[in-house]
Amino acid sequence: MTAYARMVRPGLADCLLWGAAALFILIPLASFLIFGFFSVVSNSIDYRPTLANFDELLSNSSYRTTFFRTMRMAFLVSATNLVLGYATAYFIWQRPPAWRNLMVIALAIPLLMSYIIKIYAMRGVLGTNGLLNSATMALGIIDEPVSALLFNLTAVRITLSVVLLPFMVLPIYVALERIPASVLHAASDLGASEIQIFARVVLPLSLPGGIVGAMFTFVLASGDFLAPELVGGIEGFTYGRLIFSQFGLAFNWPLGAALSIVLMIVALGVIYAARRFGNPRWQR
Amino acid sequence: MFRSREFLLAAATVMLASGHAWAQEVRLFSFEGYAEPVWVDPFEAATGCKVSVAYTGSVDEMFARMVGSDGADFDLVSIDTSIIQRYLDAGLIIPFDMSKVPNTSNLLPSFAEVDEVMSGGETYGVPIAWGSLGLIYDKEAFPDGVDSWEALWDPGNAGRVLALDDANNNVTNAAIILGLDDPFNLSDADFESVKQKLIEQKQFLISYYAGFEEGVNIWDSSEATLMFSMGEFQAVELADRGYDVVYSIPKEGGIGWLDTWALSKGVQDSDCTHKWVDHYLNGETGPTMTELNGYGNTTDESPELNYADSLVWLQPVENFDRRVQVWNEVKAAQ
Repeated sequence: MTAYARMVRPGLADCLLWGAAALFILIPLASFLIFGFFSVVSNSIDYRPTLANFDELLSNSSYRTTFFRTMRMAFLVSATNLVLGYATAYFIWQRPPAWRNLMVIALAIPLLMSYIIKIYAMRGVLGTNGLLNSATMALGIIDEPVSALLFNLTAVRITLSVVLLPFMVLPIYVALERIPASVLHAASDLGASEIQIFARVVLPLSLPGGIVGAMFTFVLASGDFLAPELVGGIEGFTYGRLIFSQFGLAFNWPLGAALSIVLMIVALGVIYAARRFGNPRWQR
Repeated sequence: MFRSREFLLAAATVMLASGHAWAQEVRLFSFEGYAEPVWVDPFEAATGCKVSVAYTGSVDEMFARMVGSDGADFDLVSIDTSIIQRYLDAGLIIPFDMSKVPNTSNLLPSFAEVDEVMSGGETYGVPIAWGSLGLIYDKEAFPDGVDSWEALWDPGNAGRVLALDDANNNVTNAAIILGLDDPFNLSDADFESVKQKLIEQKQFLISYYAGFEEGVNIWDSSEATLMFSMGEFQAVELADRGYDVVYSIPKEGGIGWLDTWALSKGVQDSDCTHKWVDHYLNGETGPTMTELNGYGNTTDESPELNYADSLVWLQPVENFDRRVQVWNEVKAAQ
């Protein structure tokens, strides 16, 4: 069956697939968005549409400051990981082929672990009695344990950077892998130096992978609420926790949904930008 | 064909598993320390009812989860007497059949007739434990002891203080520390001073924590020496980990609470659930709990807890949602 025929006469599989997508993704998402236009009156939800939640978001400055602080944090995580992730992916790409797959698998293994365990592990690393302090003390770099590593925004950034690094490395690595060897050989044959090859061939061809990775990292970091809660201390009150507290603590689902809508618009904007810049015309 | 059959099968299994509670089970939603193997195991052996427990991090979380599922996820919740009315108003709890809880005859006189658990002649809460939200301090760091909550606002203790993440308890405790007339009925001006007091504290805090275990874990991985505690059990847990700590009620007073089992409207095995409540009052469970976890029990005197008179017992508050809102503003403040 040609692709055209499939489009005209959708098979049972297609119906199931779209049905499942609608049932499990679109309908829950839409119903969730609608909640942003309701309100809560004495512990139950009032279904008369209102813009009160958005009014609250705009008028109460604590939402705004939390939002911008979180965006800044997510941006920094994203930028840090772009550098670290690119270096890691480039390193792997330079290894002999037999090594590469092994290293990529090693990098992906943490993705199979529970997210919360990784955060607790980071707490073990960063704490006053933690691995990092013991190691630097044993090496004589510091005399007393540093308590500034845990329970602040820096700890959140470090934790998110570590946990989200695979999301950055993998797309960059895939982009590097897709560069044909013949292109590199051609550049070399035409007299380009190593640095020129990297700056004018490899980097432009692989950067789109970095942009996709930056998008993943930014979107995941900006909505996260577990890492800020567990390692962020009093500074770790991020936008994700604000949303969580509306659902998990305050029972104000409508306000939580309204807050989520704002975050979703930002995420969609970032994804759209990544699509544009991550897929440049000269590469299509 | 996309393995649609396997997919449907898997989906059906998930739906069955999530919607179905096993027969003969009591599903508890509570604070830590109310379901220890020492008294759960004999109960399960004697009745054939399985006990499963989910722990909550805060009073706020408990209520939000109960409202969110309309009570369907749990049979019993451990809620303190001040909040029973809030659960009643939200229609989340139903009365006990007291003929199935004969052991209430074992309740001490001061717990046998508690007004807050009654409504319309029915019993909505069975008192099981009492305690406080005291101050924990490290004996080594404070050899002369700590007698005031102001230690948690002392710049000299910056970076060594933990406080719990719970709206109502923070607002109430701050009101007690400020010496406000009625910590449960705050005026607008009171709210403002409570909020400022709590924001002022933030510069000295390591972190807020939610849940007994979480507080102890943070103590363990930081340089904490002072803690606004969730209850006696935390001092027990810290001592178990080798910390020399003191649990105390400072001179300003502290929050006192009386926890009850309350029956969720989503209760599934009512028989087992009533048996569990009765088991709690059999005269053995209570004292064992006091010995093991440090809470006062309701069937025997608890001489270890000698500070009942300096406690401010939790009462229903003027506006719970407003307290949650204020607490969020405190947490979001720079």
